[in-house]
Amino acid sequence: MRDEHIISLIENTSLGNLSDNDLTVIRAHANECSNCLRAFEAAQLSLLLLKEHAAVQFEPSPFFHTRVLAALRERQAVNDNWAFGRLWRAAGALASSMVATVAALAFLTFVIPDRHVATISQASLNANGYSAEEVILDQAQSEEVSEGQLLTTIYDGDEETK
Amino acid sequence: MELARSAREGDESAFEEIMRRYSPRVFRFAGKFFKQRSLVEEAAQEVFLKAFTELGSYEGRGSMEGWLTRITTNTCLNLLRSSKRRPELTVSDLTEDQSDWLDKNLTDAATQQHQSSERSLVAADLAGRVLHTMPADDQLVLTMIDGEDASVKDVAALTGWSESKVKTQAFRARRRMREAVEKLLAGRKGRRALSDARS
Repeated sequence: MRDEHIISLIENTSLGNLSDNDLTVIRAHANECSNCLRAFEAAQLSLLLLKEHAAVQFEPSPFFHTRVLAALRERQAVNDNWAFGRLWRAAGALASSMVATVAALAFLTFVIPDRHVATISQASLNANGYSAEEVILDQAQSEEVSEGQLLTTIYDGDEETK
Repeated sequence: MELARSAREGDESAFEEIMRRYSPRVFRFAGKFFKQRSLVEEAAQEVFLKAFTELGSYEGRGSMEGWLTRITTNTCLNLLRSSKRRPELTVSDLTEDQSDWLDKNLTDAATQQHQSSERSLVAADLAGRVLHTMPADDQLVLTMIDGEDASVKDVAALTGWSESKVKTQAFRARRRMREAVEKLLAGRKGRRALSDARS
């Protein structure tokens, strides 16, 4: 053991928890190995520093509880505001979606049908080139012609038999 | 448990009583990691604010003290992680008192267990400076295991880490701490040799 380096030994466990036997071995080796001696000295000082660091104690100030309660109330107030804000935002979203729906329905109900009819009649006018009255008159004319043609056809046939 | 239930239902005086009972312990525990009073207070306040919001998760199986200690450990660890690590500490960064402390304790570190309060404060401050150059997890295990003699099992229970992780972390942290102190000592020896040569 005296020939083995002791660095891993002093890093595996806290120096304070090493047995007397381990410490004797470490010291014996450190007396002959300068690297391990430096490591051992540094490890001893590290332990001493950590003990002193842990020994410092703090006590709560008399106003600590009041300060925490104030911070707690403040945090709760922020949370409440946040909850109200979230509710308001949710309600706002709902209301705006309702308004949008009503507007869309109104548009579809009152604006689109008129435009649709007007567009259709205008389109049919453009396609045929004459109005409904003209169609009716034309129809009447064509019916007259056809009656006259019928009479002519009948009487012409009679005259031919005579 | 009764206090916890009342506090959970919004009884402010019950929560105040919890604080009155357990704040000394929370302060002592947080004081192991921070050496500035303002930081200790900040950590302790955060612990109680967290405790209040998480009272619902406290089922009364373990002691409230243990439950609060776990919250304190996690809070301190998070605060250590969020604080900026200092770059490597060199001899020129040390105060005169800290340099003297290193010189005087180098020779008889093993025997000198009790120091005057003034020297203890110098040592605690120096330890804080060295620790502040190390990762938060290293600071935690070194402070608890080497500084406070806590067992690996205790640290594992408080942090939620496995025991093997705690052991590995402690091993690495000891190495980093030892190397940092070794560098400071080497720097001090070099300076002393230089001043001896001049005189």
